[in-house]
Amino acid sequence: MTQAATNASDLMVEMHNVNKWFGDFHVLRDIYLEVKRGERIVVCGPSGSGKSTLIRCINHLEEHQKGDIVVGGVPLTQDVKRIEQIRRSVGMVFQHFNLFPHLSVLENCCIAPMWVQKKPRKEAEELAMQYLERVRIAEQATKYPGQLSGGQQQRVAIARSLCMHPDVMLFDEPTSALDPEMIKEVLDVMVELAEEGMTMICVTHEMGFAKTVADRVIFMDQGQIIEENAPEPFFNNPQSERTQLFLSQILGH
Amino acid sequence: MIHNKDMIPEQPAPKGTIGPIGWLRGNLFNGPINSLFTLLGLYVLYLLLVPTIQWAFINADWIGDSREDCSRVGACWVFVNARFSQFIYGLYPSEEYWRANIVFAMFAGIIAWMVIPRLPFKRWMTVFALLGFPVAAYVLLHGGYFDLPRVPTHRWGGLMLTLLLASVGMIGALPIGIVLALGRRSNMPIVRTFCVIFIEFWRGVPLITILFMASVMLPLFLPSEINIDRLIRALIGLTLFQSAYMAEVIRGGLQAIPKGQDEAAAALGMTYWKRMGLIIMPQALKMMIPGIVNTFISLFKDTTLVMIIGLFDLLGIVQAALSDSRWLGFSIEGYVFAAFVFWIFCFSMSRYSQYLERKLNTGHKQ
Repeated sequence: MTQAATNASDLMVEMHNVNKWFGDFHVLRDIYLEVKRGERIVVCGPSGSGKSTLIRCINHLEEHQKGDIVVGGVPLTQDVKRIEQIRRSVGMVFQHFNLFPHLSVLENCCIAPMWVQKKPRKEAEELAMQYLERVRIAEQATKYPGQLSGGQQQRVAIARSLCMHPDVMLFDEPTSALDPEMIKEVLDVMVELAEEGMTMICVTHEMGFAKTVADRVIFMDQGQIIEENAPEPFFNNPQSERTQLFLSQILGH
Repeated sequence: MIHNKDMIPEQPAPKGTIGPIGWLRGNLFNGPINSLFTLLGLYVLYLLLVPTIQWAFINADWIGDSREDCSRVGACWVFVNARFSQFIYGLYPSEEYWRANIVFAMFAGIIAWMVIPRLPFKRWMTVFALLGFPVAAYVLLHGGYFDLPRVPTHRWGGLMLTLLLASVGMIGALPIGIVLALGRRSNMPIVRTFCVIFIEFWRGVPLITILFMASVMLPLFLPSEINIDRLIRALIGLTLFQSAYMAEVIRGGLQAIPKGQDEAAAALGMTYWKRMGLIIMPQALKMMIPGIVNTFISLFKDTTLVMIIGLFDLLGIVQAALSDSRWLGFSIEGYVFAAFVFWIFCFSMSRYSQYLERKLNTGHKQ
């Protein structure tokens, strides 16, 4: 009984038999995934395998048609208030950063704390500066996103999410749109975040990142979770043929 | 291998490539065809400008009070002079002109305050312009309060009426247009269908028809005790007509905003209205300034159509003055004057929109 209760509160994200269709196309098939507080998950797989859709379902940027999703103990329903409540506790970092181009770096970080959490401007700005310092970009606070490099923009995007004090962070291919020399600065920030105990679900092709920080690696293909394992056995001894093929393709060269 | 051990010192640009001569050479005479067009252009300009200036200024008559004071060689501005107050105030009683003048002064003051960037309290000025000013203008112009004699709306006219129609139309069309544009992109089928039907109806009908229906047909359908002022009916028709156009302009702007912007705002927990108000609309409106001003300009000129329902706006009153038997034959002067006044207003709007675009763009140019 006690065991079950602790388990339930420990679970940050629960996805039970989640199914999703885009029209007729079955993108997610019977997804079963449980993420504990503080756990770091890396989701990988070929393009079109549904990995982005999977994490976008967690904060309802995509709607699932069947199954249950529970985030921080709150079941995700159609209710807009419920969705917004969940989104406040779930941070998301996008492939293309999606910073607000009409706002300065500082305003990008302040806008949600001020308008969603109703923090006074001064407090929101102090908080924003604190996180901008953590992602080592505080000196650019007055610039606009268009004046920053891709790597800098992505670090600002991470800081923007952190300003909402999320319980879990979703990363949707955060380094795929970056020039090679900028990938490291973003990954470094993500590694630090992981070391501080943030719950993270990352869709990424950075296998080095997966090896160093992931507690579990999930391999998806054609809308299903094919294989799930700790990084060491996942990379050294993949069980399914498709995983082996995928790993040989991305690690082979 | 090292190519240059020492830095090469800066050298002046070759002669004739900079300065006014350089500009002329580079832009107007940089080849036989361009030179030919330059000379041809100058000649056409000469052919057009010289007679125009002669007619409008050099040979023109300015002072006098009847047609006998005009030599008829050049323009007879005496006509415009004699009718000037009518062109501005319409049939407004002349002993009450001061009321209209106060409204004009307030209007000019508000515009100047909003346009000059250095002046403070812009937000309070906007509130006053949207709430206080219309009430004050109505009380002053219409009268019936504070011992001010009543001036019924059918006596309002001229530039005063044009500006009234245009400002009410603009201030009304923008918010209605925003709501319609958002509605047309809504997920709710009923809201979307309603907005599509509304927009397509008003866009599909000529403005003249709308004004005509508002003035002639609407009273037939309404019970006889309800009597909406003709000016109000024209205002409603004009505003709804322009808001449909505005909605389509704004929808274009909304479509140009990447989907990721809305997703990022949603992922931060913002509600729909916060996403629209804080993230999407500021970007879309900025991008849409040329389109919005274009709609404003066409609205400004469309106000002349109220002539059809017997309201005398600037053009209407000019035309009425032309049929005055004492001033027959001065239609060119009348129309040139009306065109000039319209041009001044439209050109100012166009210039201001260019200034706004430049000012708002500086923030996020790469």
